Amino acid sequence: MAEKLDGVQLAILNKRIESICAKMANTLLRTGRSGVLNSARDFSCVLVTAQNQLLNVSESLPIHVLRGADMMCEAMQENHPNLKRGDAFLHNSPYHGGSHPADHTYLVPVVDDDGVHRFTMVAKAHQADCGNSIPTTYHGSARDVYNEGALIFPAVRIQENYEDNQDIIRMCEMRIRVPEQWWGDYLAALGAARIGEREMLALGREVGWDTLDRFAEQWFQYSEELMINAIRQMPSGKATTFSRHDPFPGAEDGIDVKIDLEIRPEDAMIEIDLRDNPDCLPCGLNLSQACTESSVLLGIFNSIQEDVPTNAGSLRRVKMHLRENCVVGIPVHPTSCSVATTNVADRLGNGVARAIAELGDGHGMASTGSIIPPSIGVISGSSEKTGGAYVNQIFLGWGGGAAGPNVDAWLSIGHIGNAGGSYQDSIELDEMRFPMRVVGRHFITDSGGAGRSRGGEAVYCEFGPVEGDMEVGYVSDGNEHAPEGTRGGGDGARADQFRRDANGDLHRLEACAQAEIPEGHTIVSYSCGGGGYGNPHERPVDKVSFDVREKWVSVGAAREIYGVVVNETGVVDQAATSKLRAMSST
Amino acid sequence: MRFAVDTGGTFTDLVVEDDNGEVRMYKASTTPTDPVAGVLDTLALAAEDYGVSRSDLLARGDMLIHGTTHAINAIVTGNTARTAFLTTRGHPDVLVLREGGRIEPFNFTVPYPQPYVPRSLTYEVVERIMYNGEVREALDEKEVVETIAQLKKAKVEAVAVCLLWSIVNPAHEIRVGELLEEHLPGVPYTLSHVLNPSLREYRRASSAAIDASLKPLMGAYMGGLESRLRDAGFDGRVLVVTTQGGAMDAADMAQSPIHSINSGPAMAPLAGRAYAQADSGADTAIIADTGGTTFDVSLVRGGRIPWTRETWIGQPYRGHMTGFPAVDVKSIGAGGGSIAWVDEGGLLHIGPQSAGAVPGPVCYGKGGTEPTVTDASVVLGWIDPDFFLGGAMSLDREAAAKAIQSQVGDKLGFGLHEAAAAILSVATENMVHAIEDITVNQGIDPRGAVLIGGGGAAGLNVTAIARRLGCERAIIPDVAAALSAAGALMSDLRAEFSGTLYTQTAGFETERVNELLARLESQCQEFIAGPGADSIEQIIEFTAEARYPSQIWEIEVPLRGNRVASDQDVADLRDDFHSTHQEIFAIADNKSEVEVVGWRANVRCRLRDGVEWTVKEAVASDIEVPEHREAYFEGSGLVDARVLRFEDMARGEEVTGPAIIESSFTTVVVDPGASAVRRDSGSLVINPAAEG
Repeated sequence: MAEKLDGVQLAILNKRIESICAKMANTLLRTGRSGVLNSARDFSCVLVTAQNQLLNVSESLPIHVLRGADMMCEAMQENHPNLKRGDAFLHNSPYHGGSHPADHTYLVPVVDDDGVHRFTMVAKAHQADCGNSIPTTYHGSARDVYNEGALIFPAVRIQENYEDNQDIIRMCEMRIRVPEQWWGDYLAALGAARIGEREMLALGREVGWDTLDRFAEQWFQYSEELMINAIRQMPSGKATTFSRHDPFPGAEDGIDVKIDLEIRPEDAMIEIDLRDNPDCLPCGLNLSQACTESSVLLGIFNSIQEDVPTNAGSLRRVKMHLRENCVVGIPVHPTSCSVATTNVADRLGNGVARAIAELGDGHGMASTGSIIPPSIGVISGSSEKTGGAYVNQIFLGWGGGAAGPNVDAWLSIGHIGNAGGSYQDSIELDEMRFPMRVVGRHFITDSGGAGRSRGGEAVYCEFGPVEGDMEVGYVSDGNEHAPEGTRGGGDGARADQFRRDANGDLHRLEACAQAEIPEGHTIVSYSCGGGGYGNPHERPVDKVSFDVREKWVSVGAAREIYGVVVNETGVVDQAATSKLRAMSST
Repeated sequence: MRFAVDTGGTFTDLVVEDDNGEVRMYKASTTPTDPVAGVLDTLALAAEDYGVSRSDLLARGDMLIHGTTHAINAIVTGNTARTAFLTTRGHPDVLVLREGGRIEPFNFTVPYPQPYVPRSLTYEVVERIMYNGEVREALDEKEVVETIAQLKKAKVEAVAVCLLWSIVNPAHEIRVGELLEEHLPGVPYTLSHVLNPSLREYRRASSAAIDASLKPLMGAYMGGLESRLRDAGFDGRVLVVTTQGGAMDAADMAQSPIHSINSGPAMAPLAGRAYAQADSGADTAIIADTGGTTFDVSLVRGGRIPWTRETWIGQPYRGHMTGFPAVDVKSIGAGGGSIAWVDEGGLLHIGPQSAGAVPGPVCYGKGGTEPTVTDASVVLGWIDPDFFLGGAMSLDREAAAKAIQSQVGDKLGFGLHEAAAAILSVATENMVHAIEDITVNQGIDPRGAVLIGGGGAAGLNVTAIARRLGCERAIIPDVAAALSAAGALMSDLRAEFSGTLYTQTAGFETERVNELLARLESQCQEFIAGPGADSIEQIIEFTAEARYPSQIWEIEVPLRGNRVASDQDVADLRDDFHSTHQEIFAIADNKSEVEVVGWRANVRCRLRDGVEWTVKEAVASDIEVPEHREAYFEGSGLVDARVLRFEDMARGEEVTGPAIIESSFTTVVVDPGASAVRRDSGSLVINPAAEG
């Protein structure tokens, strides 16, 4: 048995692997064509061992990869037992470890000079279009995968000897809207995976493959060790939380998500049971197994100290009970998972964080705002300006971060699964690229959940086409069921959406729709606010005064909800405030 | 005679170059409350060395080039002016929302950053211009006048104005400026399209807000600097170093003070470029400037100093973007003072915490208890405890050893030397990581670059860093300890002019593009005729900011000429874009057309001839230095290392490692298996050739 690596060698090899993933991510971000890649950073660059263990996710979107990349590599090995250098595989099947069909993933096996498969580089990238029956990658009302329409690739060899399989390229070009955009994204994502491969080969030759294998094994141990320490500091006990996704087509009664969570600090284990949940539904909201597990892990990792690496080692301390054909479990083909990374996944991840909060003050988090409002919908149409058809997701504004125990929400969080990594579009950039005008975009006073820590404010956004008509596809959860606060914190504001006609009159739109906005009209989007944490009366008075002066909280809400008597410039009436707060505490 | 003064956090460095090309270096403590006093102090040191009075020395000067951290300090400490922000109606949260983005996805203990201008000082202006310049909603002047009355009431000291699409049609911003002049006289303001005419409203707004907020303070500072230098007898030209690595007249800097934000570190690559060229004929270099608390990396690629479009004050996404391109400098918390610690999982970390100047490393004996990189270097025998800063300070080796053993060695199960060597290894790796970060972004392969070390602590692990990166040469210039000030002496007068004009290579808008290029060129010519009137040489370079269709991040492509007139010119631009894209990202889409979004012209006016100078070395102190001492190296263990004085090394003299070369300003470690030679330029050139 070879010698054990010391703490120094571990630290150094970890840095080198992080550098490799950073190189991959840089290529994807800078060269990607769709908005969802180059603006929302909706991609991940991951390193997986030959034994299909997740090793590094430092450049990734949490919902993409906490689980899934490993399962996809497993599918690759099952379908293709003989891996050769120069191979690359396209994978997007939610039935084989994929998140949802819009996430095209390129798997490149790193094969050493002796022909041994050592690692797999994974580059996952959300596409602007994936061949769905309607021009959106979030087909909320899809009855099944056939109605959804996406091309499904269960680890399909797209390159051999570094050469494209033109059959597959041509199939994609015949089926995916704006094929040049898809082609550009293919180059970006595959290029990223190839850069990772090149660097890993160099590293393996330099330090030796056995050393890297030992590194992986020890890194998992180290990560598990930190995870054990983290769980030992958590409160002990069982909690059950509920969250309800709004009624959508195919889920007319809404979707109840129930989370049974147990933390056992003495064993350093967290256990989650999701089996008592509805069967899969005839709509696109079902979670893939990868998204179910990733959502649970998100809720957990958001609630523990930030220095625990997320990999197969730390994941050993979480046990999940799932069942087949469950909306938050393991879907069975041909169930549609078109919207698996956001809506119900958000309800699940947020529910886990709240369950942890319920076990003890100072732990867990409130709920992050639900999505996908029209302000980050998929716009499509045709115009001279775009030289014909356009379809792209825009990211004009999604607020609604969750409050933590002692820190106010991160305002531009996006949603829990994105964790704020997304950029927010420049108005000028969008108006330059698309035939559109953005009338306004700003945060809304009093829309964040009140609390000792404040939930993030919702975003108001109004935009419309200036040349031809425009379709806006969106699936906005939170119109009915607000993002929950926790431990006495208030809920975030609900989402809403309207069409404003040429006379300025507002017409309410459905929460899940492919809205048609004629030229001269606009769409008005209200995103959700995030939940607050703790009793608002515990919020320090000077913070409330600041909130009012900065127009996050109104004078009225300061008095009614926070028990602080303050004028609009932030001057506090201390006596009246003490009286008000004393009254409520009795 | 020319002076270059770089005011840093701890030291103020002065480099003096006389008319015969002889250069001398001086260091004095910075006086944070009155930085100009530190400038005058270094000049007094120099005068003493030259044996003349300060006023006589100053009277000989033609030019003083100043690098300053005054602006950045004001921002970091919140001492800028009370600034208001005027924005297009409907878009009040431009500075709050920024462009999104976040680091450390699972870390919810870091609060969301406050906007540069608070919401309570943000005012919406009724107006709207479209992307093509069409006025969709006229400016409501009456309302603007009412807003100005509110500004007065709010006791605003500066105003930033950024309206949507002012880069295409500036009429509304210009009119708001006129109304401010009329109704709020004496309060400085910044119009976004004048300061930074580039696409993306947040970046432009942020530029304007930062600039306006610095105007009262930097106006006073620049005025004070000039008048105090004049009073002290200086009659030459006062220039200030810019974030873009150029120089500007102090009076002009007062008009757009945002350009002084990264004034210091931007100079190091100028010196690095000169030494890379002189000592190894290389046109690609990595410049690593190691101070007490930070490690700054910058680059030279193909003889040019690469810029970044994204410059942050503070951490990315947690701070503010300046909106300006800047010399690409990556800074991390790693230096001599960085603290070594072992986490609960048994992993060794170095920094980012620093022991700073107070209490400093354990070996300073000033109350520091946590072991640092400097302590490890003392324990390894690399730094001589009796010859630190030329013997100005004596160090406590025993205390350093105790701290390293108990806080690192025992926790890792290492002996003392192993633990100290591990501290250097991890520090090296952190630095390598920072270098890789910036070289990746700029598409540079470190293996083809030379490594230039600057700053007091560079020499400790420059050999190790060069080995890890695979660089063939590492260079420690004789001005290494004051690399930035030396770079300032080499700086050119610089200005940049830019415009936004969207077009594609298919259906290229030749006429409009060339109109814009002609306008940019005439702006450059005006600059040459004005501030650049006395310069030796003038260079204008044009670049296009381009991308593939539906990409959103542009890359810069140099134009081959000053116009894009013929079909061939357009085809050349397209080809150059493909190859630049290939170079940076390792992929290109050769069949694709290319979109151009912005156009820039850079004008440089060269102020000096060549870079040949000789450094007059500090007189060797009279401390006896043994010719050998015991030093520890990973892989070799304790060995007998040769010890040399930097200033005693003859030109052409070669030493093989293990060796330690010391001067009053720095220590250079030549690892076993490496060798170093003193060049005619005075630089020490290290061949890191790894053993085995």
